[in-house]
Amino acid sequence: MEGQTHAKKLAARRLESGSLNYVPVIKKKGTTLFFTVFHYVMLISLSFIFIYPMLYLISKSFMLSPDLADSTVQWIPKGFSLENYFFSFGALNYMKSFWNSIMTSLAPAFIQIFSCAIIGYGFARYRFTGKGLLLALVMFTFLVPPQTNVVPLYMFFSDLDWINTYFPFWVPAMFGHGLRGALFVLIFTQFFRGLPGQLEEAARIDGAGPYRTFWTIMLPLARPAMLVVFLFSLVWHWNDIFQPSLYVFMSDKFNLTQQLGVLNGQGEQELAIGTAASASSALVQIPTFANRVMAGALMTILPMLVLYLFTQRYFVESVERAGIAGE
Amino acid sequence: MKKGLSMRARHNLEGWSFVLLWAVGFLLFMAIPLARSLIYSFQDLKVSTEGLIPTNVGLKHFRHAFVLDVDFVPNLITTFMSIIVEVPLILIFAIFISMLLNRNFIGRSLFRGIFFLPVIITSGAVLQKLKDNGAETLPIFSQYNLFVKLVEFIPRDILFPMLGILDSLTVVMWDSGVQILIFLAGLQAISVSLYEAAKCDGATPWESFWKITFPMLIPMIFVNVLFSIMNSFTKADNLVMEQIKTVFKASNYGYASALGWIYFVLTFVLIGIVVFIFRRSLGERG
Repeated sequence: MEGQTHAKKLAARRLESGSLNYVPVIKKKGTTLFFTVFHYVMLISLSFIFIYPMLYLISKSFMLSPDLADSTVQWIPKGFSLENYFFSFGALNYMKSFWNSIMTSLAPAFIQIFSCAIIGYGFARYRFTGKGLLLALVMFTFLVPPQTNVVPLYMFFSDLDWINTYFPFWVPAMFGHGLRGALFVLIFTQFFRGLPGQLEEAARIDGAGPYRTFWTIMLPLARPAMLVVFLFSLVWHWNDIFQPSLYVFMSDKFNLTQQLGVLNGQGEQELAIGTAASASSALVQIPTFANRVMAGALMTILPMLVLYLFTQRYFVESVERAGIAGE
Repeated sequence: MKKGLSMRARHNLEGWSFVLLWAVGFLLFMAIPLARSLIYSFQDLKVSTEGLIPTNVGLKHFRHAFVLDVDFVPNLITTFMSIIVEVPLILIFAIFISMLLNRNFIGRSLFRGIFFLPVIITSGAVLQKLKDNGAETLPIFSQYNLFVKLVEFIPRDILFPMLGILDSLTVVMWDSGVQILIFLAGLQAISVSLYEAAKCDGATPWESFWKITFPMLIPMIFVNVLFSIMNSFTKADNLVMEQIKTVFKASNYGYASALGWIYFVLTFVLIGIVVFIFRRSLGERG
């Protein structure tokens, strides 16, 4: 309000002196309103596209088979049933797969926080011989397609008898590698660079060695970066289908995304009908198990959704603060 | 022991002690595997009880990939075409959406949360399942006989992929979550006084976008291009990845390595082009 009256006064004074007329101010008000409406229309229509998969998953997962075939049912199912969830809970072997997902995502995410923080700190605060080359190699590692190394890495892990264990997920993470490890090292490097150097000088003068300084002073200050690395590492590991499909073959070691990959929604009953139908004609068999698959998909990402619900602010704001974009 | 060292040497040692972990990891998980897979790509590996028995076959696998394999070259072309088409689209969407979000308005954090949601949901297996059920496209362009109407004006080979791209715009948008955040961070680093100064000099919003916002965002555009390329490697619909996985699971290790190396070299050619394009504008800032 105050600003507005001030602007009016200014405009009036200008009008008096004849240097400017009043027109631009009026015009500006109109365009501001227009832009606000336009802005919201754009945001809402775009956000529909982004929220659409979520709505689709929820809507389909509550439908029963008749609803899927019913053309009058678009979004809201006619009956409410949790049957699909019960089915997928069993078909995904949920508790077991959930545990496997924890081991292949939460564990490496925790490991990566610490290993990447240590490495990032070294890059940010020391000028050692070969630093330029090593940083270039970090960039290089970030950009090498994982497909190129599939064969030797598989052989390496299989020589160590690590296939069908969690070690291929944990050990590279300990060395600051693993899934997108190079990116996390760069995030920490960027973050530590932004912290004032006086902190360490003070700690040094007080007699703390370099490792103690790092552990007690610098690491606690890096909480925003740790949070962003942890959240991204967790979500990317959770959703990754590439690494598990290479190192885990036994179905009782499958994590949720792997189980979802083979979930087709067919129960034993339908399977029997399906084989009979496909034997007579391929056209008879119309797969209408999307409801069960979508319930399974929703359950697969549910832990991440719950996490996102509570940490949404940190996810988004910490990217701004941790300076990912700082390069 | 350390007391005997000069300050400089000590600093050097301390620095290395922090990054040594990564350097060892680089040797174990990157340098050695990379070299080994290059060697494998010139060999046939026979699985036997005493381990793998290599025989040198020269360029056989590479010749096979380009001459005999009916899938590989089309897969390669599809994968690289989708990068070349999608990355600019992702950038345009991400800049647009981040500019929409970079104002003070009611519900800002809600919208910001929504635009980031696909990073959580639509990746990996879930996206695959959505695709199986045809839920990833808004079929506005394939419908309404648009193809039949336009095929008279535009050559078939261009039109067909073009409509396909338009239909899969949703997937492209879902891929832009992280990029939106990076641009948003970049936009917030631009000082408001620049815009005020431009406005005083009579610049329209359009002009100040191209003269201020865009040049200031170039480093973020560069980061986002690299991120998007990297992100496409392990996407569920990367056909090259799928093929390498299949070949690898059939124990055809030599051939899988050769395919991996071809993909690697072509990716770095692409990245080289990107760096070349951005070299001048990034170089100016030092």
